[in-house]
Amino acid sequence: MIKAERKPLEEIYNMVKGYSSILSVGCGGCTSVCLAGGMRETILLNKELSDCFMKEGGKAVFSVVVTERQCNEEYTGDISDLVSECDCMISMACGVGAQLLAETYESKPVFPGLNTMFVGKDLDVGLYQQNCRTCGDCKLGYTGGICPITCCSKSLLNGPCGGTCLDGSCEVSRDIPCAWNKIYERLKAQNRLDNILNIHEPMEWIDKGPGILVQQGYESRYMKEEKK
Amino acid sequence: MKNSDKTTEVRIRRIINKKKGMIKLSLKVCVHCSICSESCFLYQSSRHDPTYTPSYKAINSIGRLYKKKGRVSEKEYDEIRELIWEKCVLCTRCYCPVGIDIPMLIASARSICREKGIFRTYDTGESKNK
Repeated sequence: MIKAERKPLEEIYNMVKGYSSILSVGCGGCTSVCLAGGMRETILLNKELSDCFMKEGGKAVFSVVVTERQCNEEYTGDISDLVSECDCMISMACGVGAQLLAETYESKPVFPGLNTMFVGKDLDVGLYQQNCRTCGDCKLGYTGGICPITCCSKSLLNGPCGGTCLDGSCEVSRDIPCAWNKIYERLKAQNRLDNILNIHEPMEWIDKGPGILVQQGYESRYMKEEKK
Repeated sequence: MKNSDKTTEVRIRRIINKKKGMIKLSLKVCVHCSICSESCFLYQSSRHDPTYTPSYKAINSIGRLYKKKGRVSEKEYDEIRELIWEKCVLCTRCYCPVGIDIPMLIASARSICREKGIFRTYDTGESKNK
């Protein structure tokens, strides 16, 4: 799932200090699960911002609402009555949610309350690790299920580089395990070492603009819409 | 009644009124056919526990809240909380042959619960690495 962390309070305060009616919009999806932008965190942010306003001698009214998923129009459109009563909004969702909120309510300024960090796995409560860079060209099939783009310090597609230490760590830091050493060990255990000998061509790191994904089986549906 | 309680009640009423027509119609047209259960992966993976049936979750959450205008006991709120968060991930895949928008009903129930300060807490305080 997407992992995010809250922006520093000062940064958020500087964005909203000129407004007197602020609606903080939490998200019931990924940012709730990673303890950054759910109901609890949104209420907490409002309390802290309220204290900032009081300290600076300002005054503002704060409201809270949580949409089920801020990346879904169906849910963002559902809070129009609350939006009409505010001067600006703070989005406690990922970047997608914040953008959709801004797009849905174009006349209202939307400020991000979170920094969207990565797609990661849950190590423990409030502890996450990046595992995927959503590069769009998954290589896990030949790397024994270990992502070289994310886990290798140099994001090498053909490794190891020669900087692997004897203890299996990376030359960049002894604290970082060499991804390609791990890949080698895993492939060896699975008797698939031939995978590592195949040369893989560089990925197309071309900025393609906002990507659109049409899921398999849904092509005809969206082709029709385009023709209209 | 405290002011904050009054505000909560007003906001709950506002949520119910906004969706009133749809909630009322949905509750009326549901024929309890349970076809929706087939489309719920949680129902399928819970050994067909009937409390995972999407219509059951909707009727016993928003249905209750709507009929009692949000004035249900704490115990009932707890039961509703379990139904709409623990037994539903709002994947929106549930299918109703008569076209009831079950996810909308569950989402409305969640909105009402949040106004009462009831929501899913993802931090259970229990660390995996004790």
